[in-house]
Amino acid sequence: MSEEKVKSKDELVPIFFMGKCYEVPSSLTIQKALEYAGYQLVRGCGCRGGICGACGTVFRYPDSYKIEVGLACQTVVQPNMYIAQLPFFPGNKATYNIADLEPNGSVFTALYPELYKCIGCGTCTRSCPMDIDVLGYMSKAIRGDIEGVAKGSFDCVMCGLCSGRCPAEEVQFYIAILARRLYALHMQPRSAHLKRAINSAEEGQWTEGIAKLKAMNLDTLKKVYSEREMEPHMGPEDWIPGDTNYVNVD
Amino acid sequence: MRVHYYPGCTLKEKATNLEDSTREAMARLDTDLVEPEGWTCCGAEYPLITEKIHGLIPPVRILRQVEIEEGSKVVTTCAFCFAVLKRANKAMLDNPTLHTRVNEYLADDILIDPTTKEKRTHFESYNGDVQVLHLLEYLRDEVGLGHLKSLVKRDLSHIKVAPYYGCRLLRPQKEVAIDDPETPTIFEDFLNAIGCTVVDFPFKQECCGSYLSASMPETSNEPSYRVLNSAKMNGANVVALSCPLCYYNMDTRQDRIKEEYLEFNGFPVLYFTQLLAWALGADVETLGLDKHLCDPRPLFDIKQNAEDVEVNL
Ligand code: SF4
Ligand code: SF4
Ligand code: FES
Repeated sequence: MSEEKVKSKDELVPIFFMGKCYEVPSSLTIQKALEYAGYQLVRGCGCRGGICGACGTVFRYPDSYKIEVGLACQTVVQPNMYIAQLPFFPGNKATYNIADLEPNGSVFTALYPELYKCIGCGTCTRSCPMDIDVLGYMSKAIRGDIEGVAKGSFDCVMCGLCSGRCPAEEVQFYIAILARRLYALHMQPRSAHLKRAINSAEEGQWTEGIAKLKAMNLDTLKKVYSEREMEPHMGPEDWIPGDTNYVNVD
Repeated sequence: MRVHYYPGCTLKEKATNLEDSTREAMARLDTDLVEPEGWTCCGAEYPLITEKIHGLIPPVRILRQVEIEEGSKVVTTCAFCFAVLKRANKAMLDNPTLHTRVNEYLADDILIDPTTKEKRTHFESYNGDVQVLHLLEYLRDEVGLGHLKSLVKRDLSHIKVAPYYGCRLLRPQKEVAIDDPETPTIFEDFLNAIGCTVVDFPFKQECCGSYLSASMPETSNEPSYRVLNSAKMNGANVVALSCPLCYYNMDTRQDRIKEEYLEFNGFPVLYFTQLLAWALGADVETLGLDKHLCDPRPLFDIKQNAEDVEVNL
């Protein structure tokens, strides 16, 4: 079994990149396969973990008309795939000062009037490597639902693949981030305990305690740290430490 | 009772008074309105060149979603959405070429469950099996006007209502008509059931100018004025309608009508759902009456407030 696994890992498969065939180990992602083939990725490559969205990739298999998309760092090579990297997608980006914008429903069409050109084809949803219902959030943008767009687009990594295939030339990901900014700044409920903690800090509630810690020598500090009271693993939800000098408790 | 409901984009932003009063009224009829998951714009206008199938994709996708959610009907209040959904549905029933082409396109859809993130990629053909109903039809055929009448909690007889059908509820007859396009009665029957005084007037099926108000705004002044004036001359004190675009032309743009017709000094326009919700005992605040350009509030006898109504139950 394990021998078989090792063998399949070593197996080379052909892939086509920019029209040229390369034999690469079958277990690699597209990104690693390109590096294996000798390309140095300076752009179109960032986190290597499926989060930054820099590595949008378009590919197709020889026996299918379908254009497939994925993130190069997340997609394992398949034999005979034709690959094109989409390192940066030139989208129309509106300039605004988020603090000056009113969080009302017409903000999307004011900044991106092309929004109304969406024909509802659904290609964006079919193109999203993050499995986002892009058409769903675009529809919410059309009807001015800021919260709906913000929540519906939460996983967007701004790879631009949706935009690249949109017949209406929409910039879905810029509309999405506009919604998340508006939602975060103007609409999301504020965290009351965070505000209280900041107030307490500003009022100097912990100044003395921190000064005390700062004055300790390293060994004492280590001792204090390792002997600190820890929240029990299965503790009750309303657990509070015995020493409340460093926390706000109700 | 749970029924699928397609609000349409306008009801979520501009026509919130239509949306809110619809929800308020239906809640009072013990009807739970369910929006199909991920609904999009229906296209607003039915594509006249159906060789290009793209205009049919969104409405058929919406109808298919209703079917996926095991709905057998979908109710709308916006006359435009109603016409698009109903005609698209009919195309799926009657036109085998369109049926094939639209379904082939939609077969490649991806449906993502918003909570579980589960992905669905295989779809059955949509065959036109969902019934598209305008809310007026739903009230007539599903709730029953007799039953509706028995649920009325307020006296509306002092409100003299001119029912305005416009174009979209009746034409094209073979595809959408909710009633006989020449001598319709469904709106009148509804108004009688909720106890209004119905006023007949000759302009009830005339066009208000429709989306001319977007491309050539002043052109819609005249047809809208004629409708309002005709209602007034026939003794009505309000026009009732179901279409957000008619409402826009006839209420929101009344200032422009006044500029052109100096003798015109305003006339209130209501959505039929506002009258319905009021008749069923809704609180006046739930009707969105403050959104109207021509204030209809004097028509609403606030003394008949909700508490009195509860006492009468
Ligand atoms: S919504 Fe568009 S930009 Fe965002 S992750 Fe999906 S395809 Fe990429
Ligand atoms: S790809 Fe473009 S036109 Fe098609 S549904 Fe998405 S945003 Fe609309
Ligand atoms: S490199 Fe960041 S998502 Fe692929």
